[in-house]
Amino acid sequence: MLNQERIILMTKMASYEKNEGKKNDSIMNYFRGDYVWLQVMKSFVCGTIAFGVVFGMYIFYDFEVFMLDIYKMDLMEFGKSVLMKYLLVIGIYSIISYAIYCYRYAKAKRGVKLYMNNLRRLASMYDKT
Amino acid sequence: MTSLLVAKQYIRKFYGKYEIFLVPLWKFVIAFICLMQINARLGYMERINKMTAVLVIALMCSFMPMNFIIIVAAAFVLLHVYALSLECAVVVLAVFLLMFLVYFRFSPKDTFVVLLMPICFLLKIPYVIPIAMGLLGTPASAVSVACGTAVYYLLAYVNESTATLTSMETEEITARFRFIIDGILANRIMVVTIAVFAITLIFVYLIRRLSVDHSWTIAIIAGALVNIMLLLVGDLMFDTNVAIGGVIIGTIVSALIAVVIQFFAFHVDYSRTEKVQFEDDEYYYYVKAVPKVTVAAPERKVKKINQQKKAHPSQRSAEGKRTNK
Repeated sequence: MLNQERIILMTKMASYEKNEGKKNDSIMNYFRGDYVWLQVMKSFVCGTIAFGVVFGMYIFYDFEVFMLDIYKMDLMEFGKSVLMKYLLVIGIYSIISYAIYCYRYAKAKRGVKLYMNNLRRLASMYDKT
Repeated sequence: MTSLLVAKQYIRKFYGKYEIFLVPLWKFVIAFICLMQINARLGYMERINKMTAVLVIALMCSFMPMNFIIIVAAAFVLLHVYALSLECAVVVLAVFLLMFLVYFRFSPKDTFVVLLMPICFLLKIPYVIPIAMGLLGTPASAVSVACGTAVYYLLAYVNESTATLTSMETEEITARFRFIIDGILANRIMVVTIAVFAITLIFVYLIRRLSVDHSWTIAIIAGALVNIMLLLVGDLMFDTNVAIGGVIIGTIVSALIAVVIQFFAFHVDYSRTEKVQFEDDEYYYYVKAVPKVTVAAPERKVKKINQQKKAHPSQRSAEGKRTNK
Protein backbone atom coordinates (compact mmCIF):
# COMPACT_ATOMS: atom_id res chain seq x y z
CA MET A 1 0.00 0.00 0.00
CA LEU A 2 1.09 3.54 -0.55
CA ASN A 3 2.41 5.06 2.62
CA GLN A 4 2.05 8.84 2.20
CA GLU A 5 4.57 9.81 4.84
CA ARG A 6 7.19 7.60 3.25
CA ILE A 7 6.49 8.98 -0.21
CA ILE A 8 6.83 12.56 0.96
CA LEU A 9 10.14 11.83 2.65
CA MET A 10 11.42 9.95 -0.39
CA THR A 11 10.33 12.79 -2.70
CA LYS A 12 12.23 15.33 -0.62
CA MET A 13 15.30 13.14 -0.63
CA ALA A 14 15.08 12.50 -4.37
CA SER A 15 14.79 16.22 -5.07
CA TYR A 16 17.82 16.85 -2.83
CA GLU A 17 19.77 14.15 -4.67
CA LYS A 18 18.97 15.75 -8.00
CA ASN A 19 20.06 19.26 -7.09
CA GLU A 20 22.33 19.81 -4.11
CA GLY A 21 23.23 16.19 -3.60
CA LYS A 22 25.39 15.93 -6.68
CA LYS A 23 27.50 18.91 -5.68
CA ASN A 24 27.77 17.82 -2.08
CA ASP A 25 28.76 14.30 -3.02
CA SER A 26 31.52 15.43 -5.31
CA ILE A 27 32.88 17.56 -2.47
CA MET A 28 32.48 14.86 0.18
CA ASN A 29 34.31 12.32 -1.98
CA TYR A 30 37.48 13.92 -0.68
CA PHE A 31 38.74 14.07 2.83
CA ARG A 32 38.67 17.62 4.16
CA GLY A 33 42.43 18.09 3.99
CA ASP A 34 42.63 16.74 0.45
CA TYR A 35 39.73 18.83 -0.83
CA VAL A 36 40.95 22.10 0.66
CA TRP A 37 44.52 21.43 -0.44
CA LEU A 38 43.40 20.66 -4.01
CA GLN A 39 41.33 23.83 -4.26
CA VAL A 40 44.08 25.98 -2.75
CA MET A 41 46.49 24.52 -5.32
CA LYS A 42 44.10 25.53 -8.09
CA SER A 43 43.84 29.02 -6.60
CA PHE A 44 47.62 29.13 -6.42
CA VAL A 45 47.94 28.37 -10.12
CA CYS A 46 45.26 30.88 -11.05
CA GLY A 47 46.85 33.51 -8.84
CA THR A 48 50.25 32.89 -10.40
CA ILE A 49 48.84 33.26 -13.88
CA ALA A 50 47.04 36.46 -12.86
CA PHE A 51 50.24 37.84 -11.32
CA GLY A 52 52.11 36.92 -14.48
CA VAL A 53 49.57 38.79 -16.59
CA VAL A 54 49.80 41.92 -14.44
CA PHE A 55 53.59 41.73 -14.34
CA GLY A 56 53.73 41.32 -18.12
CA MET A 57 51.53 44.36 -18.60
CA TYR A 58 53.70 46.34 -16.20
CA ILE A 59 56.88 45.44 -18.06
CA PHE A 60 55.35 46.07 -21.43
CA TYR A 61 54.04 49.43 -20.32
CA ASP A 62 57.52 50.81 -19.77
CA PHE A 63 59.16 48.48 -22.24
CA GLU A 64 61.62 50.91 -23.78
CA VAL A 65 62.66 52.37 -20.44
CA PHE A 66 62.96 48.85 -19.10
CA MET A 67 65.15 47.73 -21.95
CA LEU A 68 67.47 50.68 -21.41
CA ASP A 69 67.53 50.23 -17.66
CA ILE A 70 68.15 46.53 -17.68
CA TYR A 71 71.90 46.99 -17.86
CA LYS A 72 71.98 49.82 -15.39
CA MET A 73 69.82 48.50 -12.61
CA ASP A 74 70.47 45.93 -9.99
CA LEU A 75 68.74 42.82 -11.30
CA MET A 76 69.02 41.04 -7.96
CA GLU A 77 67.21 43.84 -6.15
CA PHE A 78 64.53 44.01 -8.83
CA GLY A 79 64.09 40.26 -8.77
CA LYS A 80 63.87 40.23 -5.00
CA SER A 81 61.25 42.99 -4.90
CA VAL A 82 59.16 41.21 -7.54
CA LEU A 83 59.45 37.95 -5.63
CA MET A 84 58.39 39.61 -2.37
CA LYS A 85 55.32 41.15 -4.04
CA TYR A 86 54.47 37.82 -5.64
CA LEU A 87 54.71 35.95 -2.35
CA LEU A 88 52.59 38.57 -0.63
CA VAL A 89 49.85 38.49 -3.26
CA ILE A 90 49.82 34.70 -3.50
CA GLY A 91 49.85 34.39 0.28
CA ILE A 92 46.81 36.61 0.77
CA TYR A 93 44.93 34.94 -2.07
CA SER A 94 45.71 31.45 -0.76
CA ILE A 95 44.55 32.36 2.74
CA ILE A 96 41.27 33.75 1.41
CA SER A 97 40.64 30.68 -0.75
CA TYR A 98 41.56 28.38 2.15
CA ALA A 99 38.90 30.06 4.30
CA ILE A 100 36.28 29.91 1.55
CA TYR A 101 36.84 26.23 0.75
CA CYS A 102 36.84 25.21 4.42
CA TYR A 103 33.47 26.91 4.73
CA ARG A 104 32.18 25.16 1.61
CA TYR A 105 33.32 21.78 2.87
CA ALA A 106 31.55 22.35 6.18
CA LYS A 107 28.34 23.30 4.36
CA ALA A 108 28.50 20.21 2.14
CA LYS A 109 29.14 18.02 5.19
CA ARG A 110 26.05 19.43 6.90
CA GLY A 111 23.92 18.78 3.83
CA VAL A 112 25.11 15.20 3.58
CA LYS A 113 24.54 14.64 7.32
CA LEU A 114 20.95 15.87 6.95
CA TYR A 115 20.46 13.52 4.03
CA MET A 116 21.86 10.58 5.98
CA ASN A 117 19.50 11.35 8.86
CA ASN A 118 16.58 11.32 6.47
CA LEU A 119 17.83 8.05 5.04
CA ARG A 120 17.94 6.53 8.51
CA ARG A 121 14.39 7.73 9.18
CA LEU A 122 13.27 6.18 5.93
CA ALA A 123 14.93 2.88 6.76
CA SER A 124 13.23 2.82 10.16
CA MET A 125 9.90 3.52 8.43
CA TYR A 126 10.45 0.46 6.29
CA ASP A 127 11.40 -1.64 9.31
CA LYS A 128 8.19 -0.67 11.06
CA THR A 129 5.88 -1.88 8.29
CA MET B 1 -3.40 46.25 -2.48
CA THR B 2 -5.20 42.91 -2.50
CA SER B 3 -5.35 42.83 -6.27
CA LEU B 4 -1.56 43.32 -6.32
CA LEU B 5 -1.11 40.38 -3.97
CA VAL B 6 -3.42 38.24 -6.06
CA ALA B 7 -1.50 39.27 -9.17
CA LYS B 8 1.76 38.36 -7.43
CA GLN B 9 0.50 34.89 -6.55
CA TYR B 10 -0.80 34.42 -10.06
CA ILE B 11 2.52 35.39 -11.60
CA ARG B 12 4.34 33.09 -9.17
CA LYS B 13 2.10 30.20 -10.12
CA PHE B 14 2.49 30.96 -13.79
CA TYR B 15 6.26 31.17 -13.45
CA GLY B 16 6.41 27.93 -11.47
CA LYS B 17 4.38 26.05 -14.05
CA TYR B 18 5.97 27.35 -17.22
CA GLU B 19 9.48 27.84 -15.99
CA ILE B 20 10.81 25.30 -18.42
CA PHE B 21 9.78 27.59 -21.30
CA LEU B 22 10.34 30.94 -19.64
CA VAL B 23 13.98 30.44 -18.63
CA PRO B 24 15.32 29.74 -22.16
CA LEU B 25 13.20 32.62 -23.48
CA TRP B 26 14.62 34.92 -20.85
CA LYS B 27 18.19 33.80 -21.66
CA PHE B 28 17.58 34.38 -25.36
CA VAL B 29 16.29 37.92 -24.74
CA ILE B 30 19.23 38.82 -22.50
CA ALA B 31 21.78 37.36 -24.91
CA PHE B 32 20.14 39.12 -27.85
CA ILE B 33 20.03 42.54 -26.15
CA CYS B 34 23.60 42.16 -24.95
CA LEU B 35 25.01 41.18 -28.34
CA MET B 36 23.04 43.86 -30.15
CA GLN B 37 24.36 46.51 -27.77
CA ILE B 38 27.93 45.25 -28.18
CA ASN B 39 27.54 45.34 -31.94
CA ALA B 40 26.00 48.81 -31.82
CA ARG B 41 28.66 50.36 -29.62
CA LEU B 42 31.73 48.51 -30.75
CA GLY B 43 30.88 47.30 -34.22
CA TYR B 44 34.40 47.17 -35.59
CA MET B 45 34.39 43.66 -36.98
CA GLU B 46 32.03 43.35 -39.91
CA ARG B 47 31.61 39.61 -39.87
CA ILE B 48 29.90 39.41 -36.52
CA ASN B 49 27.91 42.59 -36.98
CA LYS B 50 25.22 40.80 -38.91
CA MET B 51 21.79 40.12 -37.47
CA THR B 52 21.86 36.45 -38.49
CA ALA B 53 25.01 35.76 -36.50
CA VAL B 54 23.53 37.50 -33.46
CA LEU B 55 20.25 35.58 -33.73
CA VAL B 56 21.92 32.21 -34.13
CA ILE B 57 24.26 32.77 -31.22
CA ALA B 58 21.50 34.14 -29.00
CA LEU B 59 19.47 31.03 -29.82
CA MET B 60 22.41 28.83 -28.82
CA CYS B 61 22.76 30.75 -25.58
CA SER B 62 19.18 30.04 -24.60
CA PHE B 63 19.93 26.34 -24.25
CA MET B 64 23.29 26.58 -22.57
CA PRO B 65 24.00 27.46 -18.95
CA MET B 66 24.07 31.08 -17.92
CA ASN B 67 27.84 31.39 -17.96
CA PHE B 68 27.90 30.62 -21.67
CA ILE B 69 26.30 34.02 -22.35
CA ILE B 70 29.14 35.69 -20.49
CA ILE B 71 31.76 33.80 -22.49
CA VAL B 72 30.02 34.63 -25.76
CA ALA B 73 29.72 38.31 -24.84
CA ALA B 74 33.38 38.42 -23.83
CA ALA B 75 34.35 36.74 -27.12
CA PHE B 76 32.31 39.26 -29.10
CA VAL B 77 33.92 42.17 -27.28
CA LEU B 78 37.38 40.73 -27.85
CA LEU B 79 36.75 40.16 -31.55
CA HIS B 80 35.48 43.71 -32.06
CA VAL B 81 38.35 45.22 -30.12
CA TYR B 82 40.84 43.03 -31.97
CA ALA B 83 39.51 44.42 -35.25
CA LEU B 84 40.16 47.88 -33.86
CA SER B 85 43.67 47.43 -32.53
CA LEU B 86 45.81 44.57 -31.24
CA GLU B 87 46.98 46.33 -28.09
CA CYS B 88 43.41 47.08 -27.08
CA ALA B 89 42.59 43.42 -27.48
CA VAL B 90 45.55 42.45 -25.31
CA VAL B 91 44.53 44.86 -22.56
CA VAL B 92 40.87 43.81 -22.64
CA LEU B 93 41.90 40.13 -22.66
CA ALA B 94 44.18 40.74 -19.68
CA VAL B 95 41.38 42.45 -17.76
CA PHE B 96 38.92 39.63 -18.49
CA LEU B 97 41.49 36.98 -17.53
CA LEU B 98 42.19 38.73 -14.26
CA MET B 99 38.50 38.91 -13.44
CA PHE B 100 37.81 35.29 -14.27
CA LEU B 101 40.92 33.89 -12.63
CA VAL B 102 40.85 35.83 -9.43
CA TYR B 103 37.18 36.25 -8.63
CA PHE B 104 34.91 34.02 -10.60
CA ARG B 105 36.55 30.87 -9.39
CA PHE B 106 34.62 31.46 -6.22
CA SER B 107 31.19 32.55 -7.34
CA PRO B 108 30.40 31.56 -10.90
CA LYS B 109 26.79 32.54 -10.24
CA ASP B 110 27.52 36.24 -10.03
CA THR B 111 28.74 36.49 -13.61
CA PHE B 112 25.20 37.55 -14.44
CA VAL B 113 25.86 40.85 -12.67
CA VAL B 114 28.90 41.54 -14.86
CA LEU B 115 26.64 41.13 -17.89
CA LEU B 116 23.83 43.31 -16.58
CA MET B 117 26.03 46.15 -15.34
CA PRO B 118 27.05 47.60 -18.74
CA ILE B 119 23.50 47.21 -20.03
CA CYS B 120 22.14 49.17 -17.07
CA PHE B 121 24.79 51.81 -17.59
CA LEU B 122 23.61 52.20 -21.17
CA LEU B 123 20.03 52.52 -19.95
CA LYS B 124 21.23 55.23 -17.56
CA ILE B 125 20.11 53.27 -14.49
CA PRO B 126 23.31 51.67 -13.21
CA TYR B 127 22.31 52.34 -9.61
CA VAL B 128 19.71 49.59 -9.67
CA ILE B 129 22.37 46.86 -9.59
CA PRO B 130 24.09 47.75 -6.27
CA ILE B 131 20.72 48.23 -4.57
CA ALA B 132 19.25 45.04 -6.03
CA MET B 133 22.34 42.96 -5.24
CA GLY B 134 22.38 44.37 -1.72
CA LEU B 135 18.80 43.14 -1.35
CA LEU B 136 19.29 39.78 -3.01
CA GLY B 137 22.95 38.91 -2.55
CA THR B 138 25.87 38.96 -0.17
CA PRO B 139 28.61 41.54 0.37
CA ALA B 140 30.79 39.44 -1.92
CA SER B 141 28.60 40.64 -4.79
CA ALA B 142 30.35 43.99 -4.38
CA VAL B 143 33.29 42.47 -6.23
CA SER B 144 31.14 41.42 -9.19
CA VAL B 145 29.51 44.88 -9.26
CA ALA B 146 33.01 46.40 -9.30
CA CYS B 147 34.03 44.05 -12.14
CA GLY B 148 30.93 44.97 -14.13
CA THR B 149 31.58 48.68 -13.66
CA ALA B 150 35.22 48.28 -14.68
CA VAL B 151 34.19 46.42 -17.83
CA TYR B 152 31.75 49.17 -18.73
CA TYR B 153 34.25 51.99 -18.25
CA LEU B 154 36.92 50.06 -20.12
CA LEU B 155 34.65 49.58 -23.12
CA ALA B 156 33.39 53.17 -22.94
CA TYR B 157 37.00 54.35 -23.03
CA VAL B 158 37.78 52.14 -26.02
CA ASN B 159 34.70 53.52 -27.73
CA GLU B 160 35.70 57.13 -27.07
CA SER B 161 39.29 56.74 -28.19
CA THR B 162 38.51 54.99 -31.47
CA ALA B 163 39.54 58.00 -33.48
CA THR B 164 42.75 58.47 -31.52
CA LEU B 165 43.66 54.82 -31.81
CA THR B 166 43.16 54.66 -35.56
CA SER B 167 45.23 57.81 -35.97
CA MET B 168 47.98 56.29 -33.83
CA GLU B 169 48.46 53.34 -36.15
CA THR B 170 51.76 54.68 -37.39
CA GLU B 171 53.21 54.81 -33.91
CA GLU B 172 54.82 51.97 -32.08
CA ILE B 173 53.02 49.24 -30.24
CA THR B 174 54.28 50.38 -26.88
CA ALA B 175 53.04 53.92 -27.36
CA ARG B 176 49.52 52.70 -28.10
CA PHE B 177 49.70 50.28 -25.20
CA ARG B 178 50.66 53.06 -22.84
CA PHE B 179 47.87 55.23 -24.16
CA ILE B 180 45.26 52.60 -23.38
CA ILE B 181 46.58 51.72 -19.95
CA ASP B 182 46.98 55.36 -19.02
CA GLY B 183 43.41 56.01 -20.00
CA ILE B 184 42.13 53.18 -17.84
CA LEU B 185 44.21 53.79 -14.74
CA ALA B 186 43.68 57.51 -14.71
CA ASN B 187 39.91 57.14 -14.97
CA ARG B 188 38.89 58.70 -11.70
CA ILE B 189 35.18 58.47 -12.44
CA MET B 190 35.51 54.71 -12.63
CA VAL B 191 37.33 54.40 -9.32
CA VAL B 192 34.89 56.71 -7.55
CA THR B 193 31.90 54.90 -9.06
CA ILE B 194 33.24 51.50 -8.03
CA ALA B 195 33.86 52.71 -4.49
CA VAL B 196 30.39 54.31 -4.25
CA PHE B 197 28.62 51.21 -5.59
CA ALA B 198 30.51 48.89 -3.25
CA ILE B 199 29.66 51.04 -0.22
CA THR B 200 26.00 51.32 -1.30
CA LEU B 201 25.74 47.57 -1.74
CA ILE B 202 27.20 46.77 1.66
CA PHE B 203 25.03 49.45 3.25
CA VAL B 204 21.83 48.08 1.68
CA TYR B 205 22.85 44.56 2.71
CA LEU B 206 23.45 45.53 6.34
CA ILE B 207 20.18 47.40 6.67
CA ARG B 208 18.25 44.64 4.97
CA ARG B 209 19.55 42.14 7.50
CA LEU B 210 18.24 44.11 10.48
CA SER B 211 15.24 42.57 12.15
CA VAL B 212 13.00 45.60 11.95
CA ASP B 213 9.76 45.92 10.09
CA HIS B 214 9.99 47.02 6.48
CA SER B 215 13.75 46.59 6.59
CA TRP B 216 13.82 46.06 2.83
CA THR B 217 12.04 49.34 2.07
CA ILE B 218 14.25 51.25 4.48
CA ALA B 219 17.27 49.60 2.89
CA ILE B 220 16.20 50.69 -0.60
CA ILE B 221 15.57 54.31 0.41
CA ALA B 222 18.73 54.52 2.50
CA GLY B 223 20.75 52.94 -0.28
CA ALA B 224 19.44 55.44 -2.83
CA LEU B 225 20.25 58.38 -0.55
CA VAL B 226 23.71 57.05 0.27
CA ASN B 227 24.31 56.55 -3.45
CA ILE B 228 23.42 60.15 -4.33
CA MET B 229 25.35 61.56 -1.39
CA LEU B 230 28.50 59.60 -2.06
CA LEU B 231 28.47 60.40 -5.76
CA LEU B 232 28.18 64.11 -4.93
CA VAL B 233 30.95 63.85 -2.34
CA GLY B 234 33.11 62.05 -4.87
CA ASP B 235 32.35 64.77 -7.38
CA LEU B 236 33.47 67.46 -4.95
CA MET B 237 36.55 65.67 -3.74
CA PHE B 238 37.88 64.23 -6.97
CA ASP B 239 36.38 66.63 -9.46
CA THR B 240 34.73 63.98 -11.56
CA ASN B 241 32.05 66.26 -13.05
CA VAL B 242 29.11 63.96 -12.60
CA ALA B 243 25.81 65.20 -14.02
CA ILE B 244 23.91 65.67 -10.76
CA GLY B 245 20.43 65.81 -12.30
CA GLY B 246 21.03 62.56 -14.15
CA VAL B 247 22.30 60.92 -10.98
CA ILE B 248 19.23 61.92 -8.96
CA ILE B 249 16.73 60.88 -11.61
CA GLY B 250 18.61 57.65 -12.27
CA THR B 251 18.69 56.85 -8.58
CA ILE B 252 14.96 57.48 -8.17
CA VAL B 253 14.16 55.20 -11.11
CA SER B 254 16.52 52.57 -9.67
CA ALA B 255 14.84 52.79 -6.28
CA LEU B 256 11.44 52.24 -7.93
CA ILE B 257 12.75 49.22 -9.81
CA ALA B 258 14.24 47.92 -6.57
CA VAL B 259 10.79 48.27 -4.96
CA VAL B 260 9.36 46.14 -7.76
CA ILE B 261 12.07 43.56 -7.16
CA GLN B 262 11.32 43.59 -3.46
CA PHE B 263 7.67 42.98 -4.28
CA PHE B 264 8.41 39.88 -6.22
CA ALA B 265 11.62 38.63 -4.57
CA PHE B 266 11.54 35.43 -6.49
CA HIS B 267 13.48 32.66 -4.90
CA VAL B 268 13.55 30.54 -8.00
CA ASP B 269 15.07 27.50 -6.37
CA TYR B 270 12.07 26.89 -4.21
CA SER B 271 9.16 27.65 -6.47
CA ARG B 272 9.77 25.09 -9.16
CA THR B 273 7.72 22.12 -10.15
CA GLU B 274 9.98 19.15 -9.58
CA LYS B 275 9.76 15.79 -11.25
CA VAL B 276 11.58 12.99 -9.44
CA GLN B 277 11.69 9.24 -9.86
CA PHE B 278 12.61 6.58 -7.38
CA GLU B 279 11.75 3.01 -6.52
CA ASP B 280 11.42 0.78 -3.54
CA ASP B 281 10.68 -2.91 -3.15
CA GLU B 282 7.08 -2.67 -4.19
CA TYR B 283 6.63 0.27 -6.54
CA TYR B 284 8.24 2.56 -9.02
CA TYR B 285 7.40 6.14 -8.12
CA TYR B 286 7.10 8.97 -10.59
CA VAL B 287 6.45 12.01 -8.48
CA LYS B 288 5.64 15.52 -9.60
CA ALA B 289 5.97 17.96 -6.73
CA VAL B 290 4.08 21.19 -7.40
CA PRO B 291 4.86 24.05 -5.01
CA LYS B 292 1.91 25.26 -3.03
CA VAL B 293 0.73 28.73 -3.79
CA THR B 294 -0.06 30.37 -0.50
CA VAL B 295 -3.34 32.15 -0.80
CA ALA B 296 -2.93 35.54 0.74
CA ALA B 297 -6.23 36.02 2.49
CA PRO B 298 -7.02 39.71 2.51
CA GLU B 299 -7.12 40.98 6.04
CA ARG B 300 -10.56 42.02 7.09
CA LYS B 301 -11.02 44.56 9.77
CA VAL B 302 -14.33 44.33 11.49
CA LYS B 303 -15.52 47.55 13.03
CA LYS B 304 -18.19 47.14 15.61
CA ILE B 305 -20.48 50.11 16.12
CA ASN B 306 -22.36 49.85 19.37
CA GLN B 307 -25.99 49.15 18.67
CA GLN B 308 -28.89 49.34 21.01
CA LYS B 309 -29.74 45.75 21.76
CA LYS B 310 -33.37 45.09 20.94
CA ALA B 311 -34.91 42.94 23.66
CA HIS B 312 -36.32 39.56 22.70
CA PRO B 313 -40.18 39.53 22.53
CA SER B 314 -40.53 36.75 25.18
CA GLN B 315 -38.20 38.63 27.45
CA ARG B 316 -40.21 41.80 26.92
CA SER B 317 -43.42 40.09 27.91
CA ALA B 318 -41.70 38.52 30.94
CA GLU B 319 -40.37 41.92 31.90
CA GLY B 320 -43.73 43.42 31.27
CA LYS B 321 -45.27 40.81 33.51
CA ARG B 322 -42.72 41.47 36.23
CA THR B 323 -43.12 45.22 36.10
CA ASN B 324 -46.83 44.93 35.99
CA LYS B 325 -46.87 43.00 39.21
